[in-house]
Amino acid sequence: MSTVLSKPRFTGARVTRMEDDRLLKGQGKYLDDIAVPGMFEIAFVRSTRAAAKILSIDTSAAKALPGVVAVMTADDCDFLMKTDEYEIAQHVLARDEVRFVGELIVAVIAKDRYIAEDAAELVSVAYAAIPALMSMEVAVSPDSRRVHGHRANAFAHWDKKTEGYDEAFASAPHHAKARFVTHRQTGVAMETRGCAAMPDPASGRLTVYVSHQSPHQFRTDLITVMGLEENQVRVVVPEVGGAFGIKAMFYPEYVVVTHAARVLGRAVKWISDRVECLLSDCHARDNIHDIKAAFTADGHIIAVRDRVIGDTGAYPIMGFPGAVGEAGWATNMLTGPYKIPHVSITVDCVFSNKAPVGAYRGVGGPVGAQVQEGIVELVARQLGMDSVDVRRVNLIQNEDFPYTTATGNVYDPGSYVQSLEDALRLIGYESFRKEQAAARARGEYLGIGICGFVEPSAGVSSEAGSTPYEAATIRLEPSGKVTAAVGLGPSGQGHETTMAQLIADELGIEVADIVVLHGDTDSAPFGGGTGGSRSATIGGGAALKAARDMKGKLAHLAGHLLEAAQEDIELVGGQAQVAGVPSRGIAIAELARIAYTDVSKLPDDMQPGLEVVARYRPAQKVTYSNGTHIAKVAVDIETGLVKVLDYVAVNDCGVLINPMIVEGQIHGGVAQGIGSAFLEELRYDEDGQLLTTSLSDYLLPTATDVPPMRVEHIVTPSGNDGGFKGMGEGSLIAAPPALANAVTDALSSFGVLVTEIPVLPQHIVQWTQGKETVLS
Amino acid sequence: MSTTTTSQTMSISLRVNGEERTLPVEPRWSLADVLRRELGLTGTHIGCEQGVCGACTVLVDGTPQRSCLMFAVQAQGCELTTIEGVTPERGLSALQQAFSKEHALQCGFCTPAMVLTATALLAQNPHPSEAEVREALSGNICRCTGYQSIVEAVMSAAKEA
Repeated sequence: MSTVLSKPRFTGARVTRMEDDRLLKGQGKYLDDIAVPGMFEIAFVRSTRAAAKILSIDTSAAKALPGVVAVMTADDCDFLMKTDEYEIAQHVLARDEVRFVGELIVAVIAKDRYIAEDAAELVSVAYAAIPALMSMEVAVSPDSRRVHGHRANAFAHWDKKTEGYDEAFASAPHHAKARFVTHRQTGVAMETRGCAAMPDPASGRLTVYVSHQSPHQFRTDLITVMGLEENQVRVVVPEVGGAFGIKAMFYPEYVVVTHAARVLGRAVKWISDRVECLLSDCHARDNIHDIKAAFTADGHIIAVRDRVIGDTGAYPIMGFPGAVGEAGWATNMLTGPYKIPHVSITVDCVFSNKAPVGAYRGVGGPVGAQVQEGIVELVARQLGMDSVDVRRVNLIQNEDFPYTTATGNVYDPGSYVQSLEDALRLIGYESFRKEQAAARARGEYLGIGICGFVEPSAGVSSEAGSTPYEAATIRLEPSGKVTAAVGLGPSGQGHETTMAQLIADELGIEVADIVVLHGDTDSAPFGGGTGGSRSATIGGGAALKAARDMKGKLAHLAGHLLEAAQEDIELVGGQAQVAGVPSRGIAIAELARIAYTDVSKLPDDMQPGLEVVARYRPAQKVTYSNGTHIAKVAVDIETGLVKVLDYVAVNDCGVLINPMIVEGQIHGGVAQGIGSAFLEELRYDEDGQLLTTSLSDYLLPTATDVPPMRVEHIVTPSGNDGGFKGMGEGSLIAAPPALANAVTDALSSFGVLVTEIPVLPQHIVQWTQGKETVLS
Repeated sequence: MSTTTTSQTMSISLRVNGEERTLPVEPRWSLADVLRRELGLTGTHIGCEQGVCGACTVLVDGTPQRSCLMFAVQAQGCELTTIEGVTPERGLSALQQAFSKEHALQCGFCTPAMVLTATALLAQNPHPSEAEVREALSGNICRCTGYQSIVEAVMSAAKEA
């Protein structure tokens, strides 16, 4: 086969999305749009107590309500979600004891949701209260009341220390300490979670529709918990209205819905309402980091001590290691883009009477970045240096790659120095200091905040099923059109378009001639799904591999028909031709026709049809994308409100498949970062009641909160096929620290160093009224 | 404990996307549920049922309204427009095309309501400033796009018109 000499037409281009047409018309079919005749609906009775023994459950009135089909408790639906590692087994419907507000107790199945909710109100649960354990600092003590009676609350502990840490720390001329806290937050997809299960009338198998990121992992989890067989269960993921990690998890509702459908022999659907979403979608973050930093007079950071507690909530969630994942990523990436030679890390993860912690975009990344950039600000403050200069002296330089961090990561090449300098130029850093001084003279507080981020992406072991490969099939139909299928689970990332761009370039055909299927375990190849910024890199690698395999088949057939060597065939403009000789060519559509319907023309060693299955295992077990974000804010010390005036992001995710989609990911991540930095917090009271159960309490950024953003790209390719790096999470890793540090900068005259996220108006008012600051 | 009668229905008449519709509804059914379940107009999405997220926005007599906060019976005699009503028989409207061109949608869940809200804005104010666009869209939450491309799509549709 000839090497491709021409530049790809589609890869790297701003191709508008194939998905858009149906979505813009309102024709996208999301979970709640799945309707079959006679479908029942479920409403759940959830625990109103954070910790209590269940004394009795009275379902008689609910059962008697007309339209109610069944009412189930743990006695009727007795399945366990087990995590052997932590010796915990969670009943899908609580038995005997509840451990967080929102835990499932009773399922009411009725003709429709209105009736189901009426009946749910008629269920009465008698509780005997247990004092709620709501503080992770209390939970870490061996004497704390046990959330799970048979085991201590501190369920995971580890220490990591570089050789020579103690001497390095002790001998450094300067030291500082701080406590960094990231409160509980969650993904809040606009489409809530849900699933619908039904016996398939034709085959007798079970079909389960679910709004999820990983169809095959979901199927594995479901059959494991319920004792079913893979070939008896078809999982279908319809259009997914946002996911952000929360929909990569496996939740007990899915077991109950599936069980109800099997027991009743009918279709049963549950769609979460927004209160249920905030109570029971996996929560995230909730880390405390007590740090000590040692540094030299010129700003070199020598050693960092990080003492961490992570709160995983009441149960280990299925699909993600909870606080272990949050604190693990946060501490593993603690040094970010900086050459900090020594670390000492101690982590404790604890149970509490809060909702289980799972994945939210960036996982521990935003937490680690907040600590890493907070340390830079702390050092700068203590030394009276510009924090930009502290960054410059500590940044990993180009000649340092591959760079092994103190925590053992091996960074592939990136653009750490250039992205910082480019971002400073973009935001106008030089002139900003004058502007800031002038504003301050007018009594206005402007600030600039910087975060250099490193995003570990496309890890062969990530929350998307920990599947170290991804899969793609390509079928060239008899007409010459392409039907591809992938194991990915997109939720707005545009994989139908980006995967088609890659395939189109390999096969020399139009993007519009390719349909990319996903989400149905009957048609999609077994894969890991979407999560951990793996789709473009590992999924894209699989699409490339499948397309190259198909290209090989086409070249073989064309070579045979054109009496040319296979190696001399190229695919260009919809035809296979002898390289550089368009007149000696044959249309790909004609090759497809022959392959299926005129098979006597095939070479002897070729079987009829044109189908390939490819699985791609990336050469690198992880590739690190990077970049620098800078935010410019104005802080109103009277109201405590922060306005983001300007925002720039310089991003390096290697080769871009579609810059428009990459920029969309960055814009969205920054918006979530604004929420994370200034708005979003899941607040529990001391009794374990969640106080933020509506979107008027758990605030999300709106169009007036998010500024126009400017994005530039740098391309440092990865060593994987295609040169791609994942980038779905970097902007939410970088934005919160950049924004928090902008407030730190704006309020420097008050001695403020922001160490807690979110920063709320009351904090700012309190700090600026001259009270104690956290700077030590 | 509530005593609820679930079977009572009453008849309502309204115009939906230009068509006269008369149908029986329970008094407690939300307009969003009736549009989706009784009329099959599933382009109207339910995001919070708390009147906050705006995903269920439809035009009631030309004005954006939360269909999750309205009972269907309150729409008696009203003129309703849903996403299906602003979508041309073939292809996309100029505004919808601008959304695609500017990449103003990702998961698409908030999109129909965004398009409707922007449609109402442009009907009232054909050449809005960026601040006016942001203000008009501030009742519609998008978790994916960061709004920038949505604002650009609305501005560019206004410019082309």
